[in-house]
Amino acid sequence: MERYLTATYALTKAYLIRFFRDKTAMFFTFLFPLLFLFVFGSLNSGGGDVSFNIAMINKSDSSFSEQFATQLRENDVFDVTSDTQDFEVAREAMGRSEIDSIIILPEGFGELNDRQQPSGSVEVYYSEAAPQSGQTIAAVMEGALEGINRELGQPEAPLTVAQKSTATSNLSNFDYVFAGLLGFSILSLGIFGLANQMPAEKKTGSFRRLRASPIRKSQLIFANMIYYLFIGVLSVALMFAVATWMFDFDMRGDWFNLVVFIILGIVTMFGFGLAIGGWAKNENQSAALTNIVAFPMMFLSGVFFPRFLMPEWLQGITAYLPLSPIIDGLRMIMTEAKTLLDLGPELLVIGGWLVLIYAIAIRIFRWE
Amino acid sequence: MKNIITVKNLTKKYSGKTTVDGVSFSVKEGEVFGILGPNGAGKTTTLEMIEALRPIDGGSVKLDGLDVAKDPNEVKKIIGIQLQSTAFFDKLSLREQLELFDGLYDETTDPNTLLEYVQLTDKSKSYVEQLSGGQKQRFSIAAALVNKPRVLFLDEPTTGLDPQARRNLWDLITNIKKQGITVVLTTHYMDEAELLCDRIAIMDNGKIITIDTPKNLIKALIKRGFTKPQVVEQANLEDVFIDLTGKDLRE
Repeated sequence: MERYLTATYALTKAYLIRFFRDKTAMFFTFLFPLLFLFVFGSLNSGGGDVSFNIAMINKSDSSFSEQFATQLRENDVFDVTSDTQDFEVAREAMGRSEIDSIIILPEGFGELNDRQQPSGSVEVYYSEAAPQSGQTIAAVMEGALEGINRELGQPEAPLTVAQKSTATSNLSNFDYVFAGLLGFSILSLGIFGLANQMPAEKKTGSFRRLRASPIRKSQLIFANMIYYLFIGVLSVALMFAVATWMFDFDMRGDWFNLVVFIILGIVTMFGFGLAIGGWAKNENQSAALTNIVAFPMMFLSGVFFPRFLMPEWLQGITAYLPLSPIIDGLRMIMTEAKTLLDLGPELLVIGGWLVLIYAIAIRIFRWE
Repeated sequence: MKNIITVKNLTKKYSGKTTVDGVSFSVKEGEVFGILGPNGAGKTTTLEMIEALRPIDGGSVKLDGLDVAKDPNEVKKIIGIQLQSTAFFDKLSLREQLELFDGLYDETTDPNTLLEYVQLTDKSKSYVEQLSGGQKQRFSIAAALVNKPRVLFLDEPTTGLDPQARRNLWDLITNIKKQGITVVLTTHYMDEAELLCDRIAIMDNGKIITIDTPKNLIKALIKRGFTKPQVVEQANLEDVFIDLTGKDLRE
């Protein structure tokens, strides 16, 4: 046992030294997830001069309401892209992310109140998945109405905005997206990064030399795993730093639980890279297999859009993909402050894959 | 002297073709044993089966009492291997490579001692990819000595080296023999085999044609009536080359 660990440690150390000497590889290993984070983070953090697509439903027949609607159409911030007057149709459009918000001028909006002033409340509906844009729209609307209120010279504002959503917490859209981005970078590090390394070593013949020593397949696999775990943790830590500094990432949960969960996720995902790399005789084989394994997870595990937007039956199936519980769990810890104790089902799926993939990896490993 | 390696009826087949065809021989402890033969004769395959690097299709190999097929890891602990295509990790200094091998064998052999032994002390911080051919071979031998092996396998150790580097490696091999380590090597060079080997086996088409000491093999040939046009040469071109360029290593 001790000899087993000595050899594994020696190999891990050698791998790490080599990695940090390969400046090019290091640069891209760490840069790629960060680039990905910048692109998707920027898309989801909502820039300043972005305009919002809205549907406007005018239920009032007052002339004030009519004028208000016209002004809204001319406003630069809003693009009234939907002419529907049916709330359900508009809501479905919002579900498809075609529009960011629905603005309703309710019946009686703009009618004169007992002080002979136009009054009423503008209703702003926004999607739970994009609470930030809903809040921004409501704020812009409030600003516009405040101007009118001031002109009317009223101490108490007759015109108000009512925000409507089931979302209660004010987490930013980025906080939701971040879990998917983390999942993607773990996936790409583990599968695209790791799977091609072993076939490259097989080509140079360094594995043949190792094989001449009394080293076991499992030692080689574990050494690779531990070495890459260091790099994975470093890369994820960098992502957290960037997320905090640049995108105001808001961590709701417990860091210790998060770290344990992330390590577990990384080790599991890396198992797939190790299995592919250990089996493949050359980079062509590993590249093909990598795509077969990685693409379903990329699109079905909630990297680019949350799984809860999928049809129920698809959610049921994709829950068992190895990356799904990792992304779900990350999201639950980070945005809902769940702990590992709450993540029983997720941990069960991850644990199952962990045992299975390493058993397979050791079994199908080929020296050359 | 007792036999440290006993090979019986060793066979290897690749997709129907028999590369090693029922080879039997034994190697005595402490000797330098050479396997000679043209390319494709099956020398490397034979060697790799003995080294537990290739599955044995038929026959058996015993190394210091261990069955190679049954105890590959135990065998690997007591042998040192220098592969034909020397391949080590890149971006790792010689010292770090030897430390790695120390770890793999759970040994504590001092890398400096080994590097000094193969005259690479000043290269301890270089990477393998920065070494010359002769230096690579010497380093490869140093790495094979980390676990203080009973048997050292050298697969064409001097192929592609310049005359100086070859001579230098011959000295090294002679030194290793003096330490009591059994050496099994393959080579294409007859002068090398004659100089280094106590006994040689000549292989062709997967079979061993003959085994004996170089002297006996030559005697037997002459006995069979072989004659070569007698040219009394006081020196040959290699002597000229060495005389002009000196024996000192160039690298």
